[in-house]
Amino acid sequence: MHRFLRLSILLISLFAASSFAADATQAVKMTEDSLGPLVEQPIEFPHFRHAGDVNKEHPEKGGMQIDCMYCHTFARRSAVAGIPPLQKCIGCHQSIESVRETPRIKKLFEYWEGSKDGKIAAKSPIPWKKVHDLPDFVRFNHERHIKRFVFQQNRPVQEACGYCHGDVKTMTVARRSKTLSMGFCVDCHKKDHLVSAEGGTAIGNQAYWYGFKKPVVNASAPLTAKGPNDCWQCHK
Amino acid sequence: MSVSNLLENWAEFRHTHPVDDVPHDPYKWAMSIDLDACTGCNACSVACYAENNLPVVGKEKFLHGQSMHWMRIERYWDEDGRDFPDQGAQFLPMMCQQCEAAPCETVCPVGATNHTPDGLNSQIYNRCVGSRYCSANCPFKVRYFNWYDYPTTDNVWPAEMSQQLNPDVTVRGKGVMEKCTFCVQRLTSAKNTAKNEGRIVHDGEVQTACQQACPPGAISFGNLVDADSKVFKQWKAQHVEIAEFEQAKDRGEQDNKLRGYRILEELRSYPSVMYLERVRETAV
Repeated sequence: MHRFLRLSILLISLFAASSFAADATQAVKMTEDSLGPLVEQPIEFPHFRHAGDVNKEHPEKGGMQIDCMYCHTFARRSAVAGIPPLQKCIGCHQSIESVRETPRIKKLFEYWEGSKDGKIAAKSPIPWKKVHDLPDFVRFNHERHIKRFVFQQNRPVQEACGYCHGDVKTMTVARRSKTLSMGFCVDCHKKDHLVSAEGGTAIGNQAYWYGFKKPVVNASAPLTAKGPNDCWQCHK
Repeated sequence: MSVSNLLENWAEFRHTHPVDDVPHDPYKWAMSIDLDACTGCNACSVACYAENNLPVVGKEKFLHGQSMHWMRIERYWDEDGRDFPDQGAQFLPMMCQQCEAAPCETVCPVGATNHTPDGLNSQIYNRCVGSRYCSANCPFKVRYFNWYDYPTTDNVWPAEMSQQLNPDVTVRGKGVMEKCTFCVQRLTSAKNTAKNEGRIVHDGEVQTACQQACPPGAISFGNLVDADSKVFKQWKAQHVEIAEFEQAKDRGEQDNKLRGYRILEELRSYPSVMYLERVRETAV
């Protein structure tokens, strides 16, 4: 009798514990591929219309091929890429009459002029939510990666940004499309990268400082170096 | 990290003090502290609290030995029969000595503390499991353990005060070990600026928080590889060698006019901090 009672108590408590755990995991909605949280933005910003390629057959569906760093301007000069201020959106959109009456742009101008119901004050910043959020113990520097790949190696901006952010120019609201885990970072940092490519800025013996290890100089092959690979470079 | 990768790179993973084939280059961060200039004012310690998000634990926990002062002033009272207000003392600022052959590194079961190529002893909070073996093995007792989740349980930083936290430094949670980092967030930022400009960090370009706050300027910090740096000149003037475990001062060379020494050198942990012996007679 006692054994039966014990077993049933165990089963009930196990069931309760498992249903509690299931509840806890449902708290954050993840994207379909489980790479990050599903983020609902205040305005469904169409990245493909701004940065996407030109569509010659249907110009209204194609993009403007705007450089990523036109809006995310701090990527090349600070640790964070930055979200453009409202003024930057309005700067262009006040003179684009053709889309002025579309729902998203009307929403945008509510933040600029204030909403009619008074809930949004004039010129209040749009509360964008962070999609590519790294843990508190990780330090990532946009500037170094942009300087290295865009300015020193002359790679296309969208390719360099896409290493971590994926093909944002085909997205509407940005979704996380890479894992951004430590293994993801290390995979790239342990590879030999060309120190400088044709057309890029020459950096001379600076290659040494990327990997903290003198690159093996081989006269016949171009100079390569690894990314920094000690713990404190990225962990803080 | 696969096991084969770990085994192949074992020498790098457990890198000890510099040997001729793997010298520190271009950086080896080091410090020198002039005890003759130190007045024991504790400004360095306060600056460290502000810079590195250290929790103030309160009197009770302090008495339990649970304080988190990465930079502490050790007092050595003079035993000459005089009582407190007149009693003299020697002051010794004590922080992680960033040993070249650190005893803490070899005992960490999860490899959370490692030697970096620029000569620091790194502590990775998210890797730490809180075994506290490193602290037990540290001869200087400069590692501090988070016995409580200070931001939540003790409310060390109430709502408004969380704005004062340094965003470049993690707020540590319960159960991890922490210690002085030589203000690695400042070093990283200085190195990034230097890399962008295609040079190495100049002497004086980067200061640690304690050095910046020290009123008499007793603390010097810099790159020991750079022959123009103040630290290099001080180490050289005192004939202190990073890879030696007995210095010229210990051997009584130069008519005992040398002042430079490193603490517990005979343990051969090769610390990166040189102290300059006090020469004045009185405490203040």
